[in-house]
Amino acid sequence: MVEAKGIYHRYDKKGKDVLIDINFMINRGEFVFFVGPSGAGKSTLFKMIIREIIPREGYLKVFGHDLSGMRQSRVPYLRRNIGMVFQDFRLLDERTTAENIAFAMRVTGASQREIRRRVPYVLELVGLREKAAARVCDLSGGEQQRVGLARAIINRPAMIIADEPTGNLDPDNSYEIMNILRTINIRGTTVLVATHNSEIVDRLKKRVIHLNQGRLTVDEEKGAYASVL
Amino acid sequence: MPVSFNSFLYACGEAWSNLYRNKWMTMASVGVVVVTLLMLGGFMVVNLNLNQITSDVREQVEIVLYIDEESTAEEQEQLHSKLLAHRSLNEVRFVHRDEAMKRLKEQLGDVVEGYEGAADNPLRDSYELHTLRPEMVGDVARELEGYPAVAEVYYGEATVEKLFAATRAVQLVGLGLMTGLAVTAVFLIAHTIRLTVFIRRREIMIMKYVGATNWFIRWPFVLEGMFIGALGAALPLGAIYYIYQASLEWVMANNLMFLTLVPASLIMGELVKCLLPLGTGLGILGSAFSMGRFLRV
Repeated sequence: MVEAKGIYHRYDKKGKDVLIDINFMINRGEFVFFVGPSGAGKSTLFKMIIREIIPREGYLKVFGHDLSGMRQSRVPYLRRNIGMVFQDFRLLDERTTAENIAFAMRVTGASQREIRRRVPYVLELVGLREKAAARVCDLSGGEQQRVGLARAIINRPAMIIADEPTGNLDPDNSYEIMNILRTINIRGTTVLVATHNSEIVDRLKKRVIHLNQGRLTVDEEKGAYASVL
Repeated sequence: MPVSFNSFLYACGEAWSNLYRNKWMTMASVGVVVVTLLMLGGFMVVNLNLNQITSDVREQVEIVLYIDEESTAEEQEQLHSKLLAHRSLNEVRFVHRDEAMKRLKEQLGDVVEGYEGAADNPLRDSYELHTLRPEMVGDVARELEGYPAVAEVYYGEATVEKLFAATRAVQLVGLGLMTGLAVTAVFLIAHTIRLTVFIRRREIMIMKYVGATNWFIRWPFVLEGMFIGALGAALPLGAIYYIYQASLEWVMANNLMFLTLVPASLIMGELVKCLLPLGTGLGILGSAFSMGRFLRV
């Protein structure tokens, strides 16, 4: 599903490398944690997967397509197959929960009927049925992140990428979000999570890829945060 | 830019609710369009009227050719045929000296009372000639001086040359000012729209992350730009109509009939043809091109 081979990247020609010889393969239905200190290259790697940036060297295949050769006009269709969850939620604050989720469906040209059918179902899945009409800015952090998750899964993507999804949440809400991600994964969606939350990594016992100063240092099945440091 | 019917409906709804949601920015954008197009439209009105007045004066420019009394009938006949055949003349009118006297009497009254009979008439037969274009007057007059049976050719040389120079200057200054205003309008509108796009950059970024195509994102902005531009053009059009109508009534009321102003319907026709597409076009282009940087996510 995601194949990285010999990836090098730097943002400026004369700057230092942020990714150095990265190689890994992620199969359909996997749940993978990306861990490592800030600036290790996790977010850069995620930006590459949604083709926000292109590696300077090496290749990255997502859903079988080499992203370096992908035409710009095809990028929106790639992203419809990847649900994104961000640390800062990135929601439309002035709109309601339901509107934020429907927004991602409208982008794909979905009809009003489809939207009316699917949105309540996904709200139920993330436990926000009661908050459908509430404005996002009136929700708690945990609830906002659940809206973010609902928006990420509304189009039934094959993969979810979550960049520090619990970074702004307390332990209870963090655990709740991870539970939802696990449920989504059990239903067959590939989930990639970048996190600093060692407790959650240790508890879930999933594959862990550790990045440090741009290098992939450990790639371990059923890993733990402590074991890779 | 293929867009599905659902997406188009969505774009219309989004455009409308964004205009409302960002009502202060909408008003600011419309305000900028109104001010610039009001200035441009106002100047167009002045320029159109100046053109009308100068073209009226230019229409009246003519050559008067006096016939030599000592020439033969044959020479005069020859002159008549040559004038009729001249390519640059579109009107050749013979004025008998009796008719010239009659006109003079009408103008001056008692002063010329003594000249009653044909024998006392000191005036000469003449031709009043109109050239195809007023600018030709000088060259044609000089050419006619060499014709047979010609005593004198008069065309108010100094006045006409000055008038043409002034007309050309007015047109050039007008064109320059209108171009300057139009360019200013483009910059102001593009910057205002860029500001509205900037305010909503977060929304655009989110749309890109959830897989929106560039045209899906652009459409609501383009429709908004179209609306802002059209409203921004319609308001000055209405204002100019009322102000101009009032000016025409004032000119009539004050008996300034020598000011032959262009009728309001004609002026408005010209302004609608120019300002409405300009406003709408500026709105659309301003929106579409102000987004470039924000779409690169």
